[in-house]
Amino acid sequence: MTSGRQRRRVVPDFMAAAKLAVPEQINVERTTLVYVAPEVVSDALDPPGVHLVNLLKEGPLSVYECAAHLGLPYCVVRLLVAGLAASGTLLTRDPPRAEGPDLEILELVLSGLRAL
Amino acid sequence: MASALSESRISVDHIPVKLIIAGPFGVGKTTMVSALSEIKPLNTEEVLTQAGTLVDDLTGVNEKTTTTTAIDFGRLTLPGVVLYLFGAPGQTRFQVLWEELARGALGVLVLADTRRIDDSFAVLDLVENAGIRYAVAVNHFPDSPDYPDEALRQALDLDPRTPLLVCDARDPASARASLIALVEHIKELMVS
Repeated sequence: MTSGRQRRRVVPDFMAAAKLAVPEQINVERTTLVYVAPEVVSDALDPPGVHLVNLLKEGPLSVYECAAHLGLPYCVVRLLVAGLAASGTLLTRDPPRAEGPDLEILELVLSGLRAL
Repeated sequence: MASALSESRISVDHIPVKLIIAGPFGVGKTTMVSALSEIKPLNTEEVLTQAGTLVDDLTGVNEKTTTTTAIDFGRLTLPGVVLYLFGAPGQTRFQVLWEELARGALGVLVLADTRRIDDSFAVLDLVENAGIRYAVAVNHFPDSPDYPDEALRQALDLDPRTPLLVCDARDPASARASLIALVEHIKELMVS
């Protein structure tokens, strides 16, 4: 089991997103997929933003995985992602918004699990 | 961080699907998430704010404004979809977290332990309050007493249609079979 919180930080966690303009309406949630927009230069970002961009250079991750890898609370990384997505640094793919499960998705899950 | 970076990544054309594995403390949630996950299970701190509860609730505990917990998290990539598995705590004080976690989730697999079946009541309450579809899987321990299905259903007050399974949370095949039963149940509810 990995826990990202084994050391004490000098800078409080909430500072990670403190300088970002975070939109009022946030759609980002735990399973939102995050990836880096093409040709992004991360030099102008604060350290947490740089870490996040570096983490995502290998490919997309869910917000929750980002939080675990960065060792920051989910609620902070959610804001960080929302802020960086609003500024165009990151792109996101939201999970399906539908109220109930979609039959097509259910079939994909079923056939995928059965094939394992 | 190096191991994290070298772990396989998914492509953005996968549809993210959220599944919750719930149950009381020590029932085997972490074990099951590990058995199913293709990545080493992760966890991060959840900060549960007091938003939504009465301010009065904080009387006498002024210095304590948040409660933290951790959710186990695993990933399973299938063709076209990526399953995100959350091992969620079952205590009623996590109601706020549950409401958020349940939003958009496909369903919940509730793990139960027949040695302390009453520990599952709070979880079932949370799941039912969240209005989310579920199946119950009894995680069988070596010293678990065997009860007839009917007795278990009655003890858990289950709807006759709700699947009641027996599984071994350590065994990936058994854990997958439980998920398949859950998803089949959700599908039946949808098409009926």
